[in-house]
Amino acid sequence: MSDLETQKRPSVFERKDVKQTVYLWVIFTAIIGYVAATVQARSMGAAASETMSTTIHMIRVFTWVVAPVAGLIAAMAATTLISKMHFGDTPPDEADHQIRNSPRATSTWLIVSSLLCLFAVVWGTIVLQRDNAAVLDLAAMNVNVTGQQWVWNFDYVDNGTVRSADLYLPVNKPVVFHVTSKDVIHSFWIVQMGIKIDANPGYVTETSVTPNKIGIYDIRCAELCGLYHAFMQTKVHVVSQADYAAWIKSQGGHA
Amino acid sequence: MTTMMDRPASAPGHSAPKKALIERLNIFTAFGLGIIGAIVFWYIAKAILPANTAGSYIKSNRDQWVLLAMIGWLIGFMTGIGAFIGPFRWLLGKDLSHEENLFYAGKDLGVKRYFRYTTDHKVVGIQYLVTTMVVFFVGGVLAMLIRTNLGHAGGGWLQPQTYNAIVGMHGIIMIVATIIMVTGPFGNFIMPIMIGARDMAFPRLNALSLWLIIAAIPCILSSIFLGGIPTGWVAYNPLASQGPPGQDGYIMFICIFALSTMVAGANITTTVIKMRAKGMTWNRTPIFIYGVVASVALALPAFPFFFLSQVLSAMDRATGSTFYDVRGGGSGWLYENLFWIMGHPEVYVILIPAVAALMEMAPVFTRRPLFSFNMAIMGIAGISGLSVLVWAHHMYTTGWAPLLNGPFMLTTELISIPTGLLFLVLIGTLWRGRLWMTMPTASIYALLWNFMIGGVTGIYLSDVPIDGALHGSMFVTAHFHYTLMGAGLTGAVASLVYWFPKMTGRMFDKTLSWIGFWFVQIGFNIAFIGMFLVGLAGQPRRVGSYAALFDQGNMITTGGAYLIMAGMLVFLYGVISSWTHGAKAPMNPWFAKTLEWTVPNPVPLENFDVLPVVTSDAYGYGKAQS
Repeated sequence: MSDLETQKRPSVFERKDVKQTVYLWVIFTAIIGYVAATVQARSMGAAASETMSTTIHMIRVFTWVVAPVAGLIAAMAATTLISKMHFGDTPPDEADHQIRNSPRATSTWLIVSSLLCLFAVVWGTIVLQRDNAAVLDLAAMNVNVTGQQWVWNFDYVDNGTVRSADLYLPVNKPVVFHVTSKDVIHSFWIVQMGIKIDANPGYVTETSVTPNKIGIYDIRCAELCGLYHAFMQTKVHVVSQADYAAWIKSQGGHA
Repeated sequence: MTTMMDRPASAPGHSAPKKALIERLNIFTAFGLGIIGAIVFWYIAKAILPANTAGSYIKSNRDQWVLLAMIGWLIGFMTGIGAFIGPFRWLLGKDLSHEENLFYAGKDLGVKRYFRYTTDHKVVGIQYLVTTMVVFFVGGVLAMLIRTNLGHAGGGWLQPQTYNAIVGMHGIIMIVATIIMVTGPFGNFIMPIMIGARDMAFPRLNALSLWLIIAAIPCILSSIFLGGIPTGWVAYNPLASQGPPGQDGYIMFICIFALSTMVAGANITTTVIKMRAKGMTWNRTPIFIYGVVASVALALPAFPFFFLSQVLSAMDRATGSTFYDVRGGGSGWLYENLFWIMGHPEVYVILIPAVAALMEMAPVFTRRPLFSFNMAIMGIAGISGLSVLVWAHHMYTTGWAPLLNGPFMLTTELISIPTGLLFLVLIGTLWRGRLWMTMPTASIYALLWNFMIGGVTGIYLSDVPIDGALHGSMFVTAHFHYTLMGAGLTGAVASLVYWFPKMTGRMFDKTLSWIGFWFVQIGFNIAFIGMFLVGLAGQPRRVGSYAALFDQGNMITTGGAYLIMAGMLVFLYGVISSWTHGAKAPMNPWFAKTLEWTVPNPVPLENFDVLPVVTSDAYGYGKAQS
């Protein structure tokens, strides 16, 4: 058994395949990072809340952080594919070495992957804490959300007895949703705001968001809930404070 | 077992004057008795059980009848195949004789042994292979129905009810197929030879695990005629309790399958621990063996939860208990927990042996030793250990326990470290190897590509705030197809090509293997990249129709799916044609160093004349440094 340490290695970086891998690494990292980050951000569309903007941003950063790792593996794979290939029914010559391990490579790999993992956990936890705190915001308005097969109903509990099937929200005002279900499990999902929470029969779950852009956005059910699950969708209308007050009045509530 | 070989074989054939019971039982008597059992139990249930369900939580009596009929089917089937003969003989103090044991092992039975309760691990392996392919075929047809339905917006030609039923069936059938796809055929046929054993530790349990699966399959297929499984493969309650009697087919399928997996898990684990050849220390045990053992050993704690979750589900449906019904004090969250405590280890049950199989092939096709054997083991062990601590990442958005989201995010993201080790081992082995380009070699590259995409998207999903946007969307569907199919199935098909010569005595047609490979891999990446895009844009999972903005992505996915289908059909044709007229395989076509290549084709009963003694590991490739 021989390992790297016992071999003559004047300089690893002067070897042809290593050089090639390094060049490819840089190129692949740039391509992977750019393509993946751009395509993903574009697919997710415009955010309608800070929560969604953060999510898109996190995906972009995670992609760029992972790109060098993916790029390295792609570069090494490409180098092995370029160099020596043998087709045929009998094997090629044995490889020129019997290297079974490289303590340096494995320990570097372990340390780097642990650091990347730590980064993801810490950042995720910070954002998660912020989201959790937002649910407890006493200044937020409250909306009760009730799912049933296959419609959503919204009760504006701060504004008297107003109920609607389309959700109306004032812009830039934090809102806490108290979500429950009448029959099976549904999942309340405002697509462009990046929030989602299950509606469970018999329990109330909570989530919160601050819409920051006026417009009409999609609410879809994200948990298979039976026959017309695909059609259990509605809209959320994010309107100005004044328009919201007017709408609430028109529905018989008080602002 | 050794003493058996020492004795001279009895007269060829089994020319007993009177046919003993065990000689008369086969798959036909099993199906016959199974159907009789189902019918008898159905009528007894109808006659005896009270018809009035008023005042209870039971909707109708049908669930009781269907469940009991399926239990009758199981008892009849297992009796008909002869599963109870051994235990009964032992109970009566008349244990099986040597000749009877040889008969059970399929000695001199020819093709007939594939249709009986045969204990030879090689026969069981072939039976598993065929079973797996049949199950994949059914699941694949369902997948194509789904994709065809999703070809363009709104205009699904399947009724929502049919569509939902098909989605659930496709899901659970494919999950079961992928669970058994490596440990079934190759874990049974190859593994004992690879460790230098004459058979499994418990050959009869081996046959039991196979025939339990075969008994389970009609239960899930019967669902088609009983209303399907319109709940997705997870069958969440309380939706499942609303479901038609097809749901009972799901319950029985899972219960029987879980039994089979537990039996197989105990058997394979014992075999590897106790029956490795002399000199095969843990350091000399091939990495594929580690993968198989990790997989089945992980199933041992996981599947009892699956079993339990379905037993409680059956009780809610048939007896009016309320484990999952909030009206009676139950909770759907209980089901979700039980389900995912099984469900997350289960994905690694699928993945680990497939990756380990490719790790086993990597040194063979690069003619150099496996890079960092120890890290490979640590990767497998680390994934297995962590995988039982991550289940609630499937429940971030359920609202079940928001305070646990942080800890579960931590454990989930920790899994990326041992998973990274698997990449290191594979890429390290390819590095500076002498590449022998075969379809299994290309599969290693395909795995690196697909598993990288599957793994990285898994990191996004493990992050709780990101999961808030992506959970329950097509993004998740694409993610797990990249891991289970892009990584898992790629490894399984490569295993089939790699071990085909040993299992059938013939080479897998090279051209067909390449054509199938490219169709499947290209189609796969087209299909599921498209699915990622619609998922990011906000298309929920399991919907039969969707908004027009998802049209393009779904078209792409459907097109890719048809390419996959074409590739899979090429593979299927390749299996059939190579098996019947392929070129005869030499004993060791890949010039590999593991023990299964030291036995002749076809592999004789009990594998080895003289048990091998192992003096080194199987990775001694490469020129020694002078």
